[in-house]
Amino acid sequence: MSIPMIDIDDLSKTYGKARGIDHINLEINEGEIFGFIGPNGAGKSTTIRILMNLIFPSGGSARIMGMDVIKETKRIKTQVGYIPSDANAYSSMNVREFLIYCISFYGIRNGEQRITDLSGLFELDLNRKITDLSLGNRKKVSIIQSLLHNPKLLILDEPTTGLDPLMQSVFFELLRSENQKGMTIFFSSHILGEVQMLCKRVAIIKGGKIIQIEEIDNLRKKQLKKVTIESEKTLNKEMFILTGIENFINLPGCKISFMYSGNINELIVFLSGMKVINLTIEEPSLDEIFLHYYRS
Amino acid sequence: MNRNLFLKEMRRNASSLITWLIVITILITVTMSVYRTFMENQSKITGMLSIIPKGALQFKGISNFNDLLSVLGFYAANNVIYMMVLGSIFSIVLSSNIVLKEEYDKTAEYLLTRPITRSEIFFSKLAVIGVNVFLLNFVTAFAGFICMELVKKGPFSVTSFLILSFYTLLLNLLFGSIGLFMSTLIRRAKPVTTFAIGMVLILYFIFTLSKITESISVIGYMSPFKFVDMNVVNPDYRLDIWHLAYFLGICLLLTGLSFRIYKRKDIYV
Repeated sequence: MSIPMIDIDDLSKTYGKARGIDHINLEINEGEIFGFIGPNGAGKSTTIRILMNLIFPSGGSARIMGMDVIKETKRIKTQVGYIPSDANAYSSMNVREFLIYCISFYGIRNGEQRITDLSGLFELDLNRKITDLSLGNRKKVSIIQSLLHNPKLLILDEPTTGLDPLMQSVFFELLRSENQKGMTIFFSSHILGEVQMLCKRVAIIKGGKIIQIEEIDNLRKKQLKKVTIESEKTLNKEMFILTGIENFINLPGCKISFMYSGNINELIVFLSGMKVINLTIEEPSLDEIFLHYYRS
Repeated sequence: MNRNLFLKEMRRNASSLITWLIVITILITVTMSVYRTFMENQSKITGMLSIIPKGALQFKGISNFNDLLSVLGFYAANNVIYMMVLGSIFSIVLSSNIVLKEEYDKTAEYLLTRPITRSEIFFSKLAVIGVNVFLLNFVTAFAGFICMELVKKGPFSVTSFLILSFYTLLLNLLFGSIGLFMSTLIRRAKPVTTFAIGMVLILYFIFTLSKITESISVIGYMSPFKFVDMNVVNPDYRLDIWHLAYFLGICLLLTGLSFRIYKRKDIYV
């Protein structure tokens, strides 16, 4: 059996009395695009910062390619690329100087060609001062620096913040292409849509705990929808004898809402017998999905 | 130590070093240019200085007015504030920011995720502090030496001058280690420049106070300035081994503690 690319074992981090992450276990295989999703403050960045040896765990351990993230951090980092959620490059440098500085740590020949190729792909002007760049362009710099040394593993912490939709699509295409060449990708985000678009498997984290590890295909099959119905008469839970209904909530007026994971056609047929004034079927928010997972 | 990081940090701090060098060198040059006028108007100035309290002269290392007649005594008495206080401010500002700056500028996540250990980062930055402080001391002392050669009326002890310069270097290094230690203790990154400068000035003030007020002279031992012997005209002037041990001991202790803390520090941005 091959060694997991990332192996997190009972990992915990506390900040004084405050919770960071709580006994996390996770295994990511070589060649996977793995999503790590959760709301802000859930513990995504804490987990990633431990993997990158920026902070130290309070308990448990983590290994990348079989190497301990604390003891063998230097060796690990020769093969890992990292895009931080919010980082600034050195303000005194221009983009080219910064990228050359980054690549200088790896002793790579022809690094400048790689810089030119990637900056061309992202339409980034290498001669501009870092301080003059917009958030989106700074994010492009961050993406490029993570890929310069052709890492085996790419760890991304909210990588699309600030990128326009066109650049997001270029970025995702690049990730898919790198993945096909063998790169493993650990993709952290609070946006379910982009994780679903890219990842094969996903871990959902909330309150410092992993509450679900799921194949994206299974997640899609569940097709969880949020349904809101307004009627002429008062509605109640007992009236809705239909499989796939959860989290039924009575709203002010003659309104109800629930999460529905069944067949939409069956729902519409069922509702045709009711005096519906208004019907909304929408994608649930991430929090609602979390709530769903918590309750189930 | 990592060569790339060392060179980048040297370039990053070059403009600051050059600015400080120019300022201190100009101050020394201007002060020493007064020496000849001072010697030509000895009698008038003696009268003026006679009304200054003895303690006020003592804190500048002048045990009596005749000390000022020697070019080395004049140099020590008048340049102490530039060489020691300004040099110490330079050291503490540099050292308190050089590691911490990566955190509050949010560049730490780029640096620490490269294939480089924290030990390499720490010692590269420590080397930058050492080289910068040494260059500042070497150039300003050299400027002082040239000035003394140009304005002297008679010979002066080069050995005493070198010892005084060495004391200044030790003092600056000590403040460098204090700044480094201070920065590693800070959990949430923010600039500590004001606090660092304040610390040098307060310790200098304590030293001054202890010199001019005999009843509280003991508080002078709280300040590292106390351990710099500025009485260069004393024929027995020499490097005190205990003072040397004090400076080196504190430097090594604080640097060692800083290293230990930094190795296990959680880096937040």
